[in-house]
Amino acid sequence: MNALLREARFLLGLKSAVAAMVALFALTAVAVSAGLVEVARQEAAIARIGPQQASDVAAVTDWVSQGKDPGNAAYYTFHATSDPPSDLAFAAIGTRDVSPYVLRVRALGLEAQLYEGEIGNPEAALPGRFDFAFVLVYLAPLFVILLFHDLRSGEREAGRLRALEASVGAPSALWGARLTVRALGLFLALALPFFVGAFVAGTALWKVGAVLAVVLAYLAFWIVLCMVVARAARSSLANAMTLAAAWMTLTLIVPAIGHVAINSAIPLRQGMELGQTQRTAVHRAWDIPKSESMDAFFRTHPQWRNTAPLGEAFHWKWYFAFHQVGDELAGDLSRQYRQGVLERAAWSERLGLVTPGVATQLALHRLAATDPAAQIAYQDRIRAFHGELRRFYYPYLFEDRPFGRADFARAPEYRAAPAAGSWPVALLGGVVLMTALVGGIGFVRGRRVAS
Amino acid sequence: MKTVDGDKAIEIADLVVRYGDRAVIDHLALTVRAGEVYGLLGGNGAGKSTTLQAILGFVRPSAGRVRVVGRDPASEPAEVRRAIAYIPENVALYEHLTARENIDYFLRLAGLRPVADEINKAFGTVGLAEEAWERRVSGFSKGMRQKTAIALAVLRRASVLLLDEPTSGLDPGATADFNALVSRLRGEGAAILIVTHDLIGVADIADRIGFLERGRISDEMVAEGPERFDLRALHNRFSRARAA
Repeated sequence: MNALLREARFLLGLKSAVAAMVALFALTAVAVSAGLVEVARQEAAIARIGPQQASDVAAVTDWVSQGKDPGNAAYYTFHATSDPPSDLAFAAIGTRDVSPYVLRVRALGLEAQLYEGEIGNPEAALPGRFDFAFVLVYLAPLFVILLFHDLRSGEREAGRLRALEASVGAPSALWGARLTVRALGLFLALALPFFVGAFVAGTALWKVGAVLAVVLAYLAFWIVLCMVVARAARSSLANAMTLAAAWMTLTLIVPAIGHVAINSAIPLRQGMELGQTQRTAVHRAWDIPKSESMDAFFRTHPQWRNTAPLGEAFHWKWYFAFHQVGDELAGDLSRQYRQGVLERAAWSERLGLVTPGVATQLALHRLAATDPAAQIAYQDRIRAFHGELRRFYYPYLFEDRPFGRADFARAPEYRAAPAAGSWPVALLGGVVLMTALVGGIGFVRGRRVAS
Repeated sequence: MKTVDGDKAIEIADLVVRYGDRAVIDHLALTVRAGEVYGLLGGNGAGKSTTLQAILGFVRPSAGRVRVVGRDPASEPAEVRRAIAYIPENVALYEHLTARENIDYFLRLAGLRPVADEINKAFGTVGLAEEAWERRVSGFSKGMRQKTAIALAVLRRASVLLLDEPTSGLDPGATADFNALVSRLRGEGAAILIVTHDLIGVADIADRIGFLERGRISDEMVAEGPERFDLRALHNRFSRARAA
């Protein structure tokens, strides 16, 4: 304890080290604040839907109740769905800035509606969010390098090394204390602003613990890497250059190459393409005999086959039937898209097993439920809800039942709940394993050099 | 100064240190007693630094025996280093700290609790001007740095002082001050090993002088009478050692 206090006092006297820790603290604080602001903006947008939805439905109800046509009810009524941010989303915005978190759907074909979310300017999202995950994954390693690259070599270059080690009983106690104090300083610079953010967001304690575990594991990786590089006993400048190259490789180059490789290996059709396939089928339905669309519909919905036959005039059940047929035609593409997104995520996770920065980022996104899996889960919830809408409206449409004010009240409602997030065990394990591997290689190399 | 049990504060017998196939120290025998100043002279590559490293326990002997205050530096480095004050050629202190803060830090590093009055007394003992005590050491001369380091040795009550080229770069006045300080510490019972090229400087203060050649003591001279050493003989002997 005395050694830690001694080194803490010593560290506080080093202006450059204090400045580095203050800078990291400030960057983390700004990132956490930016995350909280973004989450508040998304929550406010979701909160605005309720009153607007009520007034919209009231207007449709007034109008439809006059004619009681169920087709008008199904066509003109929008149903709001939303994907509220989790209590940790402020720390890792993830895909929430490029995928919709509010979607109003109708009982029409779903595929074309799924990708109509308003996400603002996608180009603005290209650089990514300045959030806690960004600071931890990309910036924190630079501060680790700054504080650790010359831990021992700096003393050697200043001519103090032998005198220092001769003054202390066991040199390992000196370096251990120095390392611990610096690591603790960096950890606190990251953790304190995060704690404040977690308190404001009401983050579950287990998630706070999990994030701290991720932070510790990632910092440990970079500190161990610094120690391994320092074991070569080269100059501080050489250490810094080597570590900067490692930072570029591990946080920029390998993830970028991995991203390109995964995207090339698992090509994905754009959401717009899925919508277009569905729309093409819908538009074609106007040009072909109605029976063709209805036969296709009855093949998957035989329960409505024996309802009243269609005449020459327009009927809503034909309209909704060919929309559903359009969805079913786009079904394979949609499943491929869903599968592709999840496969890409799975391969990114595998890349994370050997790239601690990727693993750390994915782990935070997993915890915050802001990863592609959460995005797909929201789409799945919309699909399930949309299925409920169809099951609700079809009896009115196919049995020509009038749709009155009371029926609006019986319509299904989407129940939004923030995604829970889950423990990123494999990803965290990957970071720990890589740390152990790098440490092991350093130890073996050190022994070889010593022998 | 703490006195050493027994006479021999540093005892090296038949020491061999190899770097790969090369024996840097080759069957070295050397003894420094409590209350004695031993000057170890040698040319570049003679093994002076390695000898110091072995005494401090930073290199493990390939063969032979090293004892400092009766303990083996290789197996008990912490106990040995507690007894030693090592002052390198260029005393490197923390530039952003004052002389007092440096002393404070290094004392804590050695597991000691600094006491302000004792630090003042030690500064007085080594002759560090009072106006320098609270000054950052970045503006200190080499002599002032050495005084700070010796003040630290005094405060640590080290029974063994290892001085590496202590007078190199010092002006004659500072050298005289330094020698007076070393004499005083010797009088208090410290065993002092000075590793140096400075023949004249060490002749003024050493009780014995050993010539290190190719990792072993090739010759040893003992101070005698008021003249202490025959400088001409010393010079000739040193020249031969350097040429070897």
